[in-house]
Amino acid sequence: MSQTQSLKLGSSDTSFLGRARLVVARRTEGRGVALLAIILVVVSLTQPLVFTAYPVSLGRIALIGLVALGLTAVILMGELDLSVASTLAVSGVVMALIPDVWLGILAALAMGLVIGVINAFFVAVVGINSFIATLGMLFALRGLAYILSDETPVRLTDTDAGIAFGQALIGPLTPRVLIFVLAFLALQIFVSRVKAGREFFAVGGNRQAAYDAGIPVKRRIFTGFMISGFVASLAGVINTLERTAADPRAGLTVLLASFAAAIIGGNYLKGGRGSIVGTLIGATALGVLQVALTLSGIQVPVQEIFIGLILLLAVTTDPASLRAVLGSIRSVRQGRSKSRA
Amino acid sequence: MAKETLTEVITVAQGDEQQPSKPRSVLPWMAENGIFIFTALLILGAAVFVDGFASLVNITDVFHRAAPIGIVAVGMTFVVISGNYLDLSVVAQVATSAVIFLAVSNVYGVPIAMLAALLAAIAYALVNGIAVGYFKANAVIVTLSTTYIGIGVLRYFSGGSIFFGPEDGPIRAFGTAKLGPVPYSALVLILVTLILAFVLSRTNFGFLVRSFGVNESATRLGGVNTGYVIVGAFFVTALAAMVAGWVLAAFSNTAVSSMSTGYDFQALAAIIVGGTSVFGGKGSVLRTLLGVVFVSVLTNILVLSNITFGYQQVALGILIVVAVTIDALSRKVGTR
Repeated sequence: MSQTQSLKLGSSDTSFLGRARLVVARRTEGRGVALLAIILVVVSLTQPLVFTAYPVSLGRIALIGLVALGLTAVILMGELDLSVASTLAVSGVVMALIPDVWLGILAALAMGLVIGVINAFFVAVVGINSFIATLGMLFALRGLAYILSDETPVRLTDTDAGIAFGQALIGPLTPRVLIFVLAFLALQIFVSRVKAGREFFAVGGNRQAAYDAGIPVKRRIFTGFMISGFVASLAGVINTLERTAADPRAGLTVLLASFAAAIIGGNYLKGGRGSIVGTLIGATALGVLQVALTLSGIQVPVQEIFIGLILLLAVTTDPASLRAVLGSIRSVRQGRSKSRA
Repeated sequence: MAKETLTEVITVAQGDEQQPSKPRSVLPWMAENGIFIFTALLILGAAVFVDGFASLVNITDVFHRAAPIGIVAVGMTFVVISGNYLDLSVVAQVATSAVIFLAVSNVYGVPIAMLAALLAAIAYALVNGIAVGYFKANAVIVTLSTTYIGIGVLRYFSGGSIFFGPEDGPIRAFGTAKLGPVPYSALVLILVTLILAFVLSRTNFGFLVRSFGVNESATRLGGVNTGYVIVGAFFVTALAAMVAGWVLAAFSNTAVSSMSTGYDFQALAAIIVGGTSVFGGKGSVLRTLLGVVFVSVLTNILVLSNITFGYQQVALGILIVVAVTIDALSRKVGTR
């Protein structure tokens, strides 16, 4: 009996279908692909304008995706960076305040790195849970953005640079989309081919084991938070250039969508499992959804309900969550049958 | 995860044992008792140095502003102690309760309005509690999503408009009534605090909430349906947020979907400053009340000194990080 089973398994392993099944089982992007498929089908039936106006959709995907990419680096290690939206706002304001564009961009990106270092210091050295540490930073940085900007949007001094930035560079692709593609490729290579990036999975999967194996856990946590801070400030720079003004309230709508993109893309919140490709799939799904909702004339509050529901769905349909629910249902049933007997 | 909580338990246990034998370590002592001294110093300093702090009008105003935040904070203490960080959706819950309360009471009267607000609170508690307790999802992300869903639903149905209460009637009478310098809303805060302090420290449910925060897997192995405990903790928070919404609506006699912005953050600051640990298991409702006094007085001083909103946010953010740092470092000292 067991022999035939193992034989069957062995034979299916070598066949194309068996190998495909193995690959699918190992991947984490299943839910993201499912959501993307549903959204693409519904949108192509109801609002095909999303695909004809693809530069708009691509810009939206790039905006959500860029922040989500940085988040993924942190989530892979089982941490979370809630401060990304505020980092985006504060670095945008810093950039607009400096008259010279290039100096402003440099200062803004440096700001993002410093914020990442501060976050990582509290998480890795002091030992505060990253949810609480970055929540404190979320409010402190938002306050800093208000202070620096006097609570009003700051106009960019060099508006020509901003207008030039909005023009399509290669074909219909704007610099924003190109930067997103470059960031995606860089992070994908870093996480899958570079040793330091591969170690992110080890740190997230089992921190003690990673430490025992000689992986510099603290340094990896610093790397991760610096990536997410840098990428968030990059998004702030892009936003400021495209709008030729920096709003201290920027990033509030991006926060929810980028979390939803990273989590529905299969990045497990406790760390160790996930992929950059999954985040791209999640960002595509949410970007297309947002553009479709906007084109259909649906109000912002209703859009937030949609994205909030997707985030709730994403965080509760994680394999571990489903297992927990099945476990508790089973234990309730067992308890009932025992009490009956 | 299980191993982490286990080491947490050991840390807590060792910290408690070593404290009497090590009176010289400052940090654990400060994490334990610092809030009493800081609150006293803050009030004293404010009374001496800040113009207009020690006036009767200002003190009544502090009470008025502290009451709804305080009611939210003492309720949210349950979620924090159960080891689930916080409930961000209290912002949406307070606004929902306030808007429903005023909008419905204008048409159908106060009792039906209270009932309608209760239904909303039950919905929040069930969604948050089931997602966190049974699906084992992360509390921060779950409550972040329910915040946006809740505010979105509220703004959609209210159209973003402001609701006004009647000029006279029971709600207005309650909102303006005072006992000496103390408004009725502050009395509600004290009443809620006493009830919740009793629930947390004297009832079976309170014991389960605390033991869940100390060690989740041990509590489950002890035969406790942990999902039900978490749903219960979110119920306490939702009911408190509902009462806070009533009090806020009665005081301002208006209700709008954005009226409770920042409550999540101020309530968390009060809880953490009061000495309840974000690592779960340790803390009390009465300490949270003290934290509320500290945060309210601090905010009042900043407002009286004409310090802008941005600086206030920075100050509260730093306050949270510092308080958590002291808590985290005191645990490290305890294990040494």
